[in-house]
Amino acid sequence: MVASSAILLPLAARGQNQATAPARPVQAGAVVQVKGNSPYEATQRAIAELGGMGKIVSRGDVVMVKPNIGWNRSVEQAACTNPEVLRAVIELAYAAGAKNVVVMDNTCHRAEDCYQRSGIAAAARKAGAELRFCDENRLALHDFRGEYLGKWPVYRDHLEVDKFINVPVLKHHGSSGLTIAMKNLYGILGGNRGKLHRDMGENIAELAAGFRSHLVVVDAWRVLMRNGPVGGRLSDVEERRTVIASTHIMHADVAAAVLFGRDARELEFLQAAHARRMGEIDIARIALKSLTA
Amino acid sequence: MNSRQGRRLQRLRILSQFLFLVLFFYLLVRLAEGGATRPSWAGFFFYIDPLFLWLGLLVRPFLRVFLLALVPLLLTLILGRFFCGWVCPFGALHQFFTWLGPRPPKKAAVERPELRLKYLLLIVLLTASLFSVQLLGWLDPIALLTRSGATVILPGANALLQRALEAGPEPLYALGRRLLLFVSQRTSIQAIAIGSIFLVLLLLNLRRRRFFCNTLCPLGALYGLLAKFSLLRLAVNDACVKCNACAGHCTFYGSPYKDYMKSECVLCCNCLADCPTTAIDPRFGLPVHGRRPAIDLGRRRLLGAAGLGLVAAALPLSSPERKARVRSFLRPPGALAEEDFLEKCLRCGACMQACPTNALQPAVLQAGLEGLWTPVLVPASGYCEYECHRCTQVCPTRALARLTLEEKKQFKIGTAVIDRSSCYTYADGYNCAVCEEHCPVPEKAIRFREVEVANFRGRLKKVKQIYVVPDLCIGCGICETVCPRTDAPAIRVGAEEEQRGNPAG
Repeated sequence: MVASSAILLPLAARGQNQATAPARPVQAGAVVQVKGNSPYEATQRAIAELGGMGKIVSRGDVVMVKPNIGWNRSVEQAACTNPEVLRAVIELAYAAGAKNVVVMDNTCHRAEDCYQRSGIAAAARKAGAELRFCDENRLALHDFRGEYLGKWPVYRDHLEVDKFINVPVLKHHGSSGLTIAMKNLYGILGGNRGKLHRDMGENIAELAAGFRSHLVVVDAWRVLMRNGPVGGRLSDVEERRTVIASTHIMHADVAAAVLFGRDARELEFLQAAHARRMGEIDIARIALKSLTA
Repeated sequence: MNSRQGRRLQRLRILSQFLFLVLFFYLLVRLAEGGATRPSWAGFFFYIDPLFLWLGLLVRPFLRVFLLALVPLLLTLILGRFFCGWVCPFGALHQFFTWLGPRPPKKAAVERPELRLKYLLLIVLLTASLFSVQLLGWLDPIALLTRSGATVILPGANALLQRALEAGPEPLYALGRRLLLFVSQRTSIQAIAIGSIFLVLLLLNLRRRRFFCNTLCPLGALYGLLAKFSLLRLAVNDACVKCNACAGHCTFYGSPYKDYMKSECVLCCNCLADCPTTAIDPRFGLPVHGRRPAIDLGRRRLLGAAGLGLVAAALPLSSPERKARVRSFLRPPGALAEEDFLEKCLRCGACMQACPTNALQPAVLQAGLEGLWTPVLVPASGYCEYECHRCTQVCPTRALARLTLEEKKQFKIGTAVIDRSSCYTYADGYNCAVCEEHCPVPEKAIRFREVEVANFRGRLKKVKQIYVVPDLCIGCGICETVCPRTDAPAIRVGAEEEQRGNPAG
C-alpha cells in the first residue's frame, strides 16, 4: 500500500518522533487549568502560565497541531476541538517562530465534512496554518514498542514535524470512558483502527507512551457529558469554559478527567498508563495550577 | 448557401455541442454539492427531456418543472432534431467518436445502419411504461450519461488524475490534494458493467456514424417523429451537380439531394460545409407530404413492437420483487414504496453522484431485473451521513421524496442487527464498541451492557456486549461500515421496519 508509491519522500532528518525519552517539560509534569472568558484567551493564558510557547516551539520549527476533528458536528455539539482554542495555539506557534504549522486528523466521518462543519478549516485558514487531509500514500509503520501496540501505520506528516502539539477536546466516550489527549492520538493512525478497540485502555496508554506530544492543550470549553464521542444533542453538552495545558500528556488527561467529574483511577487507559509508570494517577500528586481569568 | 457559410454553421454546431457537454459535466459535478433550491439547475437536462415529461404524466403528483420539456418539443416542430445535433451531451460524445472514425469512402455505397430500430425500441418502452413498467432510463441519453458519469467517468478520471500526479513532482501532487481533487475516491460495484456498455456504445461509432443516436436512442426517435413535421428543411437547388459530396459526412448516412429525411437529420450542417457548389439551402416551409423518402416502420413491425412492450411490462409485473415483503437490500432515504419507486426512478444515478460517502450504488439484480441500476444503500461501501439529505434533494422525479434534513434524520432506512456468532464482544469475549461509538443517533441506538463471560481462553472476564435498540435505529449503516471485522461485518443493517417516503412530500 505504501512502499510502492512513487511520491514517498525521504523522511526528514530532523523531527524523528521516537518518544522513548520522557517529556522534558518546563516544570516537569505541571498542569495549568484556566477558566476564562473566551476559549481563545483561556488558551493563551494557559500556555503563558506554562512558560510560554517559546519554551516548546523553536525558531524555524515545523509544527503539527493535532485537534480532534473526528466528526461532522458543529462547534456547539462539542464533538470536535473548539476552533478558537486551535486558532490560539496556531497563532502562538507562529509567534514563537514556527516556520510552518500543519493541521490534520484522521476523521471518523468523511474528512471534508468534518473539517468544514467543525469550524476547524476556517480557524486554521484564518490563523495561516496548512490544512492537510490524510493520504494513504503517506503511511509509514511506526514502532510504538508496546506490549499490545507494536508497529502500526502512522501518517508520516506527524513523524516529519519538529514539534507535535496535541489539542484534544474533552468529552464522554462510550468504550474508554473519556477521550482526551491520549485517545486523540488515534487520529495519527491509519490502518484498521477499529481493531485497537480491543484492550483499548492498554492501546491508548502505549500509543501515548510511544509517540511524543511536546505540548498538550485540552479544550474543555464545551464538554460533551453523555453519548460521546459523537454526541449531537445540545442537552448533553455543558459549558465548562476551561482550557488545560501541560507538557505531560498523562497529567493533562488526569486533570481533565477530574474536571469532567471522573475519578482518574477508574479509567482503564489511565490505569494502564499508571501501570507503565507514565505519571501520577492521583490528582493530589500532580502540580496543578488552577486559575480563573 | 455556399460552403464558407456552411462551415461557419458547422463550427457553430460543434461549439454548441462542446458547451452543452461542458455544462452537462459541470452540473453533474455540482450535483455532489446538492441543490437546495427548487428546481435545482443541476437537473436541467432532465427537466428538458420530453421522455421524462411523458413518464411524469403517468404518475402522481405531476411535477410541473418537467413542462420545460415543451420548449425543445415545440422547437423541434420548427427546427427538426436540433436537440440531437446541437444540444445533447451524449450526442456530442458520439459525434466526436464518429469524427475519430475512418473517413467515409467517396461515392462507394455505405451501408446504412438500422435507423428504424430506435423507433421500434421507443414503441416498446412507451408501451411498457403505460403498464407502469418504465425502463426508459436504461436508454435515455441523459439518464445513461448521468449514470455513466457518476459511476465510471468521474471516479475513473479522479483515479487516473491521482495516479498521474503521484508520478509527478510533489508540489503538484500536494496542490491537487489541497484542491480536494482526489481526497475521496469513489468506487462503484457496477463500474465495470456500466463502463463497458458506455465504452462499447462509443466505439460503435467507429463502424457506424453516431450509432447510438441513429439506431438506439429513444429520445432521438421521439424527436425524429416530430421532426418529420418540422418547418425547417434542406432544399436542393439547380446548382447541384449530383456529386454526392454531401453524403460523405452525413450523420445519418443520407444526402440532401437523394434521400433527405427530416426525421433523421440532426442539423449537423456537414453537408452544407461539404457541398462544392451552392446547391443546398436551409428553408422554412410547411411540411409537404408524400413522395419524400421516409422511414417506413410498417404496421406489422409497429404491432410487433407494441406486443414486445406488453411482454416487457408483463414479465416484471409477474415477478415477485415489486410486492415482496422480505428484501435483501436497502433503499436510500425517502425512497417511495417499492412499486412507486420503480415507476419513478430513472436509474440515472444522480443520487449516487450526490451521495458524499459513496453509500448509494446501482443495484445489480437484488431488486429484480426491473430494478437494474436503481439505487441501493450499501453500508459496506459507505454509510448514510446523518447530517446529509442530498440524494433526496437531487432526485429529478422525486422517486426519493424530498426530505428536509430534520426529516431525514428521523427517516428509518432499516434496522441494524448484531451477529452474535461473529461480534467480538460475544464470540471472542473482548471489548470493541466501534459501532456504538459511531452511532449518530444522539440517544444511541447501539449500546452495551457489561457482562461477565468466559472468553476464548475459558477465563471469566467482564465484557461490554453490544446490543441494538431497534426503535431508535435509523438504519444509516455506519455501524456496518466501521465494524472492524474483515470477513463480514458483525453488525448489519437490513430492511427490517424500513420506512418509505410519501409521494406527496
